[in-house]
Amino acid sequence: MMILLTRFRAVLLFYRSIAPFMLGISGLILAAVLLPAIYEGRAKGIVPALLLAKLATAPVMWLLSERLRPDQYWFYFNLNISRRQLWSGVVALDGLLFLGSAWLMRAALS
Amino acid sequence: MSQIPDNLPEKQVLEADGIRIVFGERQVLGSIYMQVQTGQIVGLLGRNGSGKSVLLQTIFGSRAVADASVRVNGRRVVPAFRERGLLNYLPQEPLLPPSLSLARAARLLGVDIEEATACFPELRPQFDKRIGELSGGSARLVQTLLLLHADTAFSLFDEPFSGVMPVHVETLAEEMQRLRHRKGLLITDHRYAEVLPICDVVYLLHQGRLLRLNGDVREQLRDYGYLAS
Repeated sequence: MMILLTRFRAVLLFYRSIAPFMLGISGLILAAVLLPAIYEGRAKGIVPALLLAKLATAPVMWLLSERLRPDQYWFYFNLNISRRQLWSGVVALDGLLFLGSAWLMRAALS
Repeated sequence: MSQIPDNLPEKQVLEADGIRIVFGERQVLGSIYMQVQTGQIVGLLGRNGSGKSVLLQTIFGSRAVADASVRVNGRRVVPAFRERGLLNYLPQEPLLPPSLSLARAARLLGVDIEEATACFPELRPQFDKRIGELSGGSARLVQTLLLLHADTAFSLFDEPFSGVMPVHVETLAEEMQRLRHRKGLLITDHRYAEVLPICDVVYLLHQGRLLRLNGDVREQLRDYGYLAS
């Protein structure tokens, strides 16, 4: 349990370091695509497609992050967490936040 | 010196071999064999660019090298960093995210920060500071102490004394000696005057080969051109 908690905290810490970019992309997709779709009444069934588009930006984020901050992983390696585990956690967390935001927008504006 | 506890951990042997690294046409490391045991401090010396950091990273497992074999008590552990409680690594670069406070970093690493910094009381007021707010030397010292006190069988330190002020270097070296009874340390640092007296075993990386130095270490270091004659 303690190990899981530490890993979750580590993923949160790592997510914080890249959140401005990931949340920025989420905001852009939601504001530029979902918002007009809600107002025009064609939002039904659009969220899964938007989620796929959002997930497709993750490799770009990964590549940019590797290039700009190649030394950012040392702390996480010392917590026994690999790159793959870190990014899997981040993508899952970011996807959930995106879905939650999309659901809230639809619930509030539909 | 501290009292050695009765419940000493079982002795463990970390071995690395088959490590061959080539950059372009230059062979940096060729056919390396290295051994570190718990209870030992092992020094790794070598000229700039001789491959010391690459070797440590390969043992740690952050650098994938085909055919590299890292074993603990004969059991293959690649990548070694995934093995909980086995080893940690202090890189030359900053270890901790700059936004993280000292106290939180210690909690994540499972280290009692009060105990880890007991010999460095001047660090105490800085527990709630972010790593990015500390001076370079203090940050280096704290990072080394956290890994030294973390519950792992081995610690690999790449330039732990770099940027640390002399009075703290002495205390840190004493702290390493004090904690050797429960872990094995592999240290590389150009401050050989501080490193040599605390080492049980000294290796020299020379022209891609790893040489274990016995007898008069300083004389051999001079012979191989690491120290001025």
